[in-house]
Amino acid sequence: MDDMLLRLDNVSKHFGGLKAVDEVSFSLGRGEILGLIGPNGAGKTTCFNLVSGVYAPTSGKIFFEGASTGGFPPHRMAALGVGRTFQVVKPFATLSVLRNVMVALGLRRYGGVLSSFARWETPAVRKEATALLEEVGIADLAEAPSGKLPLGNQRRLELARALALKPKLLLLDETFSGLRHEEVALLSRLVLDVRSKGIAVLLIEHNMKVAMGLSDRLVVLDHGRLLAEGSAEDVRSNPRVVEAYLGKGASSHAS
Amino acid sequence: MQLFIEQLLNGAAMGAIYALITLGLALVYGVLRILHVAHAGVYAAGAYAGLYVYSHTGSLLLAVLGAMIFCALLGVLIERLIYTPLLKFPPFVPLIGSIAVFLALEEIFRLVGGPYILSFPAELPFSGITVSGVVISPAIISIYAVSASVLLLLWFIVTKTEFGLAMRATSQDREVAGAMGIDGAFTVSMTFALGSAVAAVAGILVGIYFNQVYPTMGAVPAYKCLALIVVGGLGSLPGAVLASLLLGVGETLLIGYANIPLPRDSLAFIAMIAVLLWRPGGLMGNR
Amino acid sequence: MSDYSITILNFIAIQAIVACGLNVIVGYAGQISLGHAAFFGIGAYSSALLTTKAGLTFWAALPLVVLITAAIGLVLGMPSLRLREDFLAVTTIGINFIVESVFLYVPFFGGALGLGGIPSIVFFGTRLRGANFLYLCLFFLALVLLISRRFTKSWAGLACFALREEETAASSMGVSPVRFKLMAFVIGTAMAGLGGALYAHQMRFISATDFGFPLSVMMMSMVVLGGIGTLWGPVLGALILGVLPEVFRPLVDYRMLLNAAILLLMIRFQPDGLLGEGSLLRRIFPKRGETSHG
Repeated sequence: MDDMLLRLDNVSKHFGGLKAVDEVSFSLGRGEILGLIGPNGAGKTTCFNLVSGVYAPTSGKIFFEGASTGGFPPHRMAALGVGRTFQVVKPFATLSVLRNVMVALGLRRYGGVLSSFARWETPAVRKEATALLEEVGIADLAEAPSGKLPLGNQRRLELARALALKPKLLLLDETFSGLRHEEVALLSRLVLDVRSKGIAVLLIEHNMKVAMGLSDRLVVLDHGRLLAEGSAEDVRSNPRVVEAYLGKGASSHAS
Repeated sequence: MQLFIEQLLNGAAMGAIYALITLGLALVYGVLRILHVAHAGVYAAGAYAGLYVYSHTGSLLLAVLGAMIFCALLGVLIERLIYTPLLKFPPFVPLIGSIAVFLALEEIFRLVGGPYILSFPAELPFSGITVSGVVISPAIISIYAVSASVLLLLWFIVTKTEFGLAMRATSQDREVAGAMGIDGAFTVSMTFALGSAVAAVAGILVGIYFNQVYPTMGAVPAYKCLALIVVGGLGSLPGAVLASLLLGVGETLLIGYANIPLPRDSLAFIAMIAVLLWRPGGLMGNR
Repeated sequence: MSDYSITILNFIAIQAIVACGLNVIVGYAGQISLGHAAFFGIGAYSSALLTTKAGLTFWAALPLVVLITAAIGLVLGMPSLRLREDFLAVTTIGINFIVESVFLYVPFFGGALGLGGIPSIVFFGTRLRGANFLYLCLFFLALVLLISRRFTKSWAGLACFALREEETAASSMGVSPVRFKLMAFVIGTAMAGLGGALYAHQMRFISATDFGFPLSVMMMSMVVLGGIGTLWGPVLGALILGVLPEVFRPLVDYRMLLNAAILLLMIRFQPDGLLGEGSLLRRIFPKRGETSHG
């Protein structure tokens, strides 16, 4: 029916009277990097939460790999192949970095009652977790307490955990915010590596340069509604987009 | 019919008492998100303090005032020494602390006041009335009068004063309230003082009504009132009052009038579970 | 060792078993349960009824007892564990009161008079009493500890730790919060049921008030005192809280106050317990091994 990996079809999310997301539709193809941008309060994180299962849509449908998944809880979305990072990092603080990744490697086991009683600390699991840490470049921190890492490394840990799920879609929630220049460059390369493995990426980013540089396409939200969609050029020169970010009157200055 | 009305009035009186205690719990939960089990210990302390002052002065007014001040101080002490330092831990830590304080208070009452039931022979300055065959004792009248005034006063404080605004702001979002110049720590302590003073009044009313003051008098309200704030919707003040009145009347009618052989103290919890199944946020909760 | 001391040790061992169960729920899965004594009671009453009215031996009844307690744990846990923390705390208190009322008021359970005439445990022809009974309790304690340890090494245990730390993150990794909280709850209540069965056959007579809310508080105190989420914590807690009343026996009148004071001091200054991280004991005797959430 659909060769799009992810499709939002007139999705709305209302909190009481507040329309956080208002009839938004967009889609994402396999191996595509889609940037979700917009001013503060535009509804980007709400969209993420809708896709990853934290929220159920008030109306509209969400399709992942052709199946309707609106309302599925997060653990089910994870099993279907959606991995995500969190803007405010959520490491399992009392566990080491390596063990944080191991938790994610248990995805295949958590579904069954019997399988969840198998041991998790096996050489095979360790090897796989270490490989993931190597991929994101923090293998030397394997035994470090995950709660005490500097931000850049926390973000990489989040990425490693999400990749451990062997996802088809990766949701990156402001992964680049608060990072130094070199870290941004490093992480960008990692994201491109991820895409080259065939994993689609949906990212929220405030850093325009990063968002426009990485994304194949962009979706712009404002006050919960879809404002514009298209390539970086299209979006950059769209007067409504400029207006949304800079306020009325600024669009006349857009080049 | 006469019996029904009498039981109804008894039930409403119990409900009013529950409301006074539960309001303190709701206020505390609102600002600290803590289940203040020790509140029932403060309530019992109020009865003891009131009895002490009354037996030494003969004045009910002084007894009430003395007990209110004593309990306000006790409440603030508990908050400062136990709860506030434990806020950074998971919620069961202050909860256990609260239970420990409550148990300790019960023991202190027993050691200081004796394990026996003390009587509270208060002479109320008015007598009972009889309305179409229904006897209304002076104790019940005083419960209605006092609790109504206290509730009115509380309502005024919470909705019309600056302090009430500070309380509500702090309970919604302490950080944001702080950014607007509201001293969170002070507001919290004053909230405890207020709730504890109200509990003291309840303690004295109960002491007079049942003519009993004893160390474990807080045991039943300690947990029953927890069920009541859950039913009312955690942190909702009108919910707490509504739930209290409903339970007071319901308990008394079901057991006193209809003679249903259900254990009285479990009724609150059974009702709580029933309400949670129907409305998971409590009757008036939306947190 | 005197008979009296052995009786005390029996109690301590039984309470340690129940406390280990509570530790799985509170320590490993991070769920508060202030109604654990109810399941202790369910185990005791089940075993008492099966061995008196149904004529089974302790051993034949035991698997049924564990199953019944776990099943009730499952049924009660399913709606409760979906609730937020504060609601859960009050609901578990409610479960305790309601279960106690059922035992007290439903005549089948003996009502206020309780159940008596519970037979001793017979093991290959010998009636287990005194030191022999203690060995049996220690055997089951060892079993419970082994199960706890194995749990921490399983994916289920890892899932529970993750849930405890960061529920949102854990669920985004495929950990179903309700399923795993429920799993921990069922294991914990099953252990409590086992302890209850042993208790019934130790006392030979049980009544509803043995399993009231104060006991739940006591159980929680043991787990807190020893160290929530550690393997040996509940055992240490049971030991200390079991021995303390004997030590304070001369101060009969102040015993309860001292218990409350110790609990208060403990929770105020060392919430991680004696064996927990950052505790005074750990700093004096640093361990090179792991805690069960390491």
